[in-house]
Amino acid sequence: MQASVLPRLRRAAGSATAGQIVAALAIAAFLLLFLVLPVAQVMIAAFQPRGGGGFTLVNFVDFFNTDLFMRSFWNSLYVSGMAVLVASVISLPLAYITARFEFRGALLIQTLGVIPLIMPPFVGAVSMQLLFGRNGTINLLLQDYFDITIPFMEGLNGVVLVQAIHYFPFILINLSTALANIDRSMEEAAQSLGSSGLRLFRRIVFPLAMPGYIAGAALVFIKVFDDLATPLLLNVKDMLAPQAYLRVTSIGIADPMGYVISVVLIVFSLLSMSVSSLALRGRDYATTQRGGGGLDRRRLSPVQAVLAYGIVVFILLLVLSPHIALTLLSFATVWSFSPLPDSFTLAHYGRVFAESAGYMKNTVLYAGLAAGIDIVLGIAIAYLVLRTKMIGRQWLDYGAMAALAVPGVVLGIGYLRSFYDITLPGGVPLATLWIVIVLALAVRRLPYALRACTAALQQVSVALEEAGENLGATKLRVIRRIVVPLMTGGILAGFVTSFATAAVELSATLMLVQSNADAPLTYGLYVFMQSPAGRGPGAALGIIAVILVAGCTLVSHLLIERHRRRSGATR
Amino acid sequence: MSLADSSLAKAIQPVSVTVDRVSLSYGNHAVLKDVSLQVQPGEFFAFLGPSGCGKTTLLRLIAGFAHAQDGRILIGERDVTDLRPWQRDVGLVFQNYALWPHMTVAQNVAFGLEERRLPSAEVRKRVGDMLDLVGLSALADRRPSQLSGGQQQRVALARTLAVRPRVLLLDEPLSNLDAKMRVQVRRELRDLQRSLGITAIFVTHDQEEANTVCDRIAVMNSGVVQQVATPMELFSRPANLFVANFLGTANILAGQVDGVVYRLAGGTVMPVPAGTQPGSKLVLRSQDILLVTGNSEPAAGGIRLSGQVRDREFLGNTMRYTVGTAAGDLQVDVLITVTAMPQSIGDAVELELTPQRALYLTH
Amino acid sequence: MIRRRRLLLGAQFVLSMLGAMSVSAIAHAQTGKVTVVTSFSKDVTTPIKTAFEKANPGATLDVQNRNTNAGVKYLQETKSNNQVDLFWASAPDAFEVLKSSQLLQAYKPKATGIPEKVGSYPINDPQGYYIGFAASGYGIMWNTRYMQAKKLPEPKEWDDLLKPVYFDHTAIAAPSRSGTTHLTVETILQGEGWEKGWRTLRLMAGNFRQITERSFGVPEGVNSGQFGLGIVIDFFGFSSEASGFPVKFAYPTVTTLVPANVAIVANAPNTAGAQAFVEFLLSPTGQEVLLEPGIRRLPVNPAVYDKPAAKGLPNPFKDKTLGARVKFDVDVSEKRTAAVDSLYDQTITFQHEALKAATKAVHDAEAKLAKKDNARGRALVKEARDLIAAMPVTEAEVASDAIAKAFTGSKQPGARQAELEQQWAAFAKTNYAKAKDKAEEAGKLAR
Repeated sequence: MQASVLPRLRRAAGSATAGQIVAALAIAAFLLLFLVLPVAQVMIAAFQPRGGGGFTLVNFVDFFNTDLFMRSFWNSLYVSGMAVLVASVISLPLAYITARFEFRGALLIQTLGVIPLIMPPFVGAVSMQLLFGRNGTINLLLQDYFDITIPFMEGLNGVVLVQAIHYFPFILINLSTALANIDRSMEEAAQSLGSSGLRLFRRIVFPLAMPGYIAGAALVFIKVFDDLATPLLLNVKDMLAPQAYLRVTSIGIADPMGYVISVVLIVFSLLSMSVSSLALRGRDYATTQRGGGGLDRRRLSPVQAVLAYGIVVFILLLVLSPHIALTLLSFATVWSFSPLPDSFTLAHYGRVFAESAGYMKNTVLYAGLAAGIDIVLGIAIAYLVLRTKMIGRQWLDYGAMAALAVPGVVLGIGYLRSFYDITLPGGVPLATLWIVIVLALAVRRLPYALRACTAALQQVSVALEEAGENLGATKLRVIRRIVVPLMTGGILAGFVTSFATAAVELSATLMLVQSNADAPLTYGLYVFMQSPAGRGPGAALGIIAVILVAGCTLVSHLLIERHRRRSGATR
Repeated sequence: MSLADSSLAKAIQPVSVTVDRVSLSYGNHAVLKDVSLQVQPGEFFAFLGPSGCGKTTLLRLIAGFAHAQDGRILIGERDVTDLRPWQRDVGLVFQNYALWPHMTVAQNVAFGLEERRLPSAEVRKRVGDMLDLVGLSALADRRPSQLSGGQQQRVALARTLAVRPRVLLLDEPLSNLDAKMRVQVRRELRDLQRSLGITAIFVTHDQEEANTVCDRIAVMNSGVVQQVATPMELFSRPANLFVANFLGTANILAGQVDGVVYRLAGGTVMPVPAGTQPGSKLVLRSQDILLVTGNSEPAAGGIRLSGQVRDREFLGNTMRYTVGTAAGDLQVDVLITVTAMPQSIGDAVELELTPQRALYLTH
Repeated sequence: MIRRRRLLLGAQFVLSMLGAMSVSAIAHAQTGKVTVVTSFSKDVTTPIKTAFEKANPGATLDVQNRNTNAGVKYLQETKSNNQVDLFWASAPDAFEVLKSSQLLQAYKPKATGIPEKVGSYPINDPQGYYIGFAASGYGIMWNTRYMQAKKLPEPKEWDDLLKPVYFDHTAIAAPSRSGTTHLTVETILQGEGWEKGWRTLRLMAGNFRQITERSFGVPEGVNSGQFGLGIVIDFFGFSSEASGFPVKFAYPTVTTLVPANVAIVANAPNTAGAQAFVEFLLSPTGQEVLLEPGIRRLPVNPAVYDKPAAKGLPNPFKDKTLGARVKFDVDVSEKRTAAVDSLYDQTITFQHEALKAATKAVHDAEAKLAKKDNARGRALVKEARDLIAAMPVTEAEVASDAIAKAFTGSKQPGARQAELEQQWAAFAKTNYAKAKDKAEEAGKLAR
């Protein structure tokens, strides 16, 4: 039977190999089972008239007729666009300095640059308010000395600032990887033609790194568009994602609008995705002909060094300030309406230390497994989309990216609805197993890994693969022995972003956690942050989470570096 | 590409390139050891050597992409040692062409002109001229990935020449082309360089390429310049065993200098010229050994060596025999004539060595 | 071939993991595990868990922390295969939702000595689906450092918060997001009447700094000094003080008391254990745990107030000012819950900037009029206030089926929720803009 079906399938799929078809079907099944169906079960309310049953679009008419939603839409658009702009301003110098110069701080930037992504829920918000808020450290000092205050954390521009600080690593990581993949002769050709400095960067280097930049910028744009936590922490409610969240989580109201907004979020996110891929269409970015090499690293002159370190330290201080505040908070006795805490104590760490071991183990396990699943799926989808002509392959990409726009709570509810009725031997519902949390995390963070893998693959020349096939290797072996090693940088970037963000995920986790023993760090953090006395321990747990994730990131960087050096030596 | 643009030719003032006692090492690995040479204005010069000999590094050093620990580089009278690549006014054509995939052919060619802030009308004109020159005007709006290897090569050349560099550097420009294209393009390169009068340096590991294209060649090995000479001189008067070996089919006959003679392994002796270094080896090119047929007498001073045909290669108008002798396996080229019957593998043959043609070379 | 073997190995691994997990779950059930979904913080649950397990040897309390909304959703989504014994939270409306979706089972506690009502609010659900075990009152907490720095007087009564001096300093949780705020709003509406009640709510909200989406967001902000004052439930104030923050809490003369509840979930896997927990909560031992500094909730057993640990805690069974002024009609409240929340969100929460701007203009105009009186100006200010207070719907309309159905997802034809909300929001927005204009005009007249 297989023999008769496959050729037909293959014809339909446009000359793909059997293995590729199987892989595509497996991915499609995964997405269907763990994303589309659970979410559709919840979202269906958007298309039903009052009281359920039937099909209607009247709710979408309501959406467009409601001032609040239209205002929210434009606000979301403005905030997303501006956040991309500010995030680019933050990441470009960091990426450029590390790629261009022999810079000791490169590893520091690579590791510290990820930390802003690891913003533990709730405590992150509190510490940001304590630092940048209306009566935070900076404004209290400004008030004292200059009698002015700056509304860092207010209104839409406050959201822009916080989002840019939070999500710029998406651009930094993807851009740095792309810069490292540029063939050095591309740059040298321009230099020998008289180009240098910023002009060289603007006209040659940056355009060549475009796939990475676009991947990062698209992620920031969509993520900010779909993010609800930051606007809510700044008390900005008239944006789309917070509106969806507030409605979906209000009890006792059979209101379809929350789901309608979710559908709008998903559609708009996919639209932005396709626009960003249109921007790259018809262009060839494959520059890894000799295996990259990156830019020519120059030694810094003393003046340049001072300047470079100044810029890097300033940016790192800015983007890490929430974490600095969080550190202070975790050691603080009382910190209230004062530039600094009243006094310091180790008691909070003492309180959380006993119970955090289990949380830590769970966090690393869940986030690690989820990120592992993500890069496998990410490589597979990127390969199918970029290297095959299979019909409908783009939909795998879109399907996976849609996860970005699905509010975590919707996914959580969808999982409960889909998997709670499936009973395992022993009477335990499937949805109560911790593996379900892993799947939810994997689905939610897949877009990050996928964008990184796609960008990395775009930079690998097809000729290198053809050379492998020409030498008798099968497609699968070529992927394993040539494509994946050349994509290492991008894969690592994908793993790190997926891992780091999965480790601080809360909204879907909170729906799915069944017992304290299975709970990750963020759940413990949530529990602490429900009472005044829990603020210090919550901050301590937040710091533990940050250190844990940063540590894992550093280790994976070092491992990859070592692997690269070893394989480079034998090449 | 047969006719050089006259304004371009006029704009180019031939200059010399001087490499003065340059040394460069990466860690403990010395890539260039005390290299000195001078390229004359308007000369087509080649750096020739096996891979890893340092020829590409030397080229990159002139272009400004590598930095020597010692020594100076001068272009004309100007010391460029400490200048950045973009300050040197040196055109470099890369082995892989390094065309920017995000720009069209015309944009690639225009780039350097725009960097020099030329007025856009002038840029347009010069891009048009350059594309005409390389015969690619019809492909101006294509992207590099849509071009063939030969076309990409021409775009790379046009891009480099458009800015009228003082020196043209070519890093193995023919290595990515097929055999037929290679012959055609190298001829075109030679013509172009001549008509422009530009000083050009060409890096290659293929001696035939160097011989056919270049006025002079620097043969390099292990970071050291072995010899700088015209192709003819290199062929007839190689400076050492490496050059002889690398350039032609040199037969090194086992044996050693013994007073006034060279004693071959197996006992045969040949007289050596006065002043021959004691450690020298006897070198004879394959054309300089005769395969003796019939019972002819040796020529005056000719020395005979007996051996057995081990292998033969048909090279068109000559047959190259590998003959096993007491002094090692020797290669002998024999012109094919209709009358002579070729030897077969296993035949016993006599070889005649001509002392006048013998070279005594050291390492 | 190799791949297939790996797949098989993977499948075996997953299966064995599943097996291991289900075995451990069964093992728990046999030792008397009582599973409770709660919105209460660790500070509350841990002492009670400890005391409960001590009083019932062999029992373990498995606490699943979820916020109230997530907890309700969780029970709704998992009802077909329920694994939870108890739902334990403050907000009575959450219990109402669970009750109406038949997710609770009725239970009549055996514990004695507990009165019918605390303040004017019945302690238990009349049908016995959920049981009050503690009470909490609403009040005002403030950050003393903030008040000192901004030279603000300490507030005593709710009306104080309407004063211009408190403009932009106070926070409250949105009633749609906090069951207890909802009860406070409803109490004001029932106590003062629909029109006057909304006037109070609007004018007060016009003075607010922020309307948060989490109950705990208010004490959090006051504790860190982001807001000066917050309208909070008493235990947030008490426990913040106990944790050392420079804050104070006070009950205004008139306050509402709301019970905190516990309910046994329908089809509970361990009903006996669940009942044991309810009995424990209502027992004198359980009631006494509520007096601990980290909890500080008002016990529903009047006898417990005689204990020394109860010192400083107001006794609602003696102090009749606490929550007794208003007669609270649960049925009225229940029917219009969603509509009231939506009205508050659409006309206040989501129009907060416009409302604040109008309120500020009124304050400014009044300040100028106080210096230089002007009758026309006074009239304009009054008009402005009326515009701020104006309601898009009457009490009768809100109580009507047509509106109630729009929010309950009934199949009957009628306006959809989104349509109503757009009308209400547009109404409020226009009125606030007009009010601002009128107040500014009044200010000019007084110049």
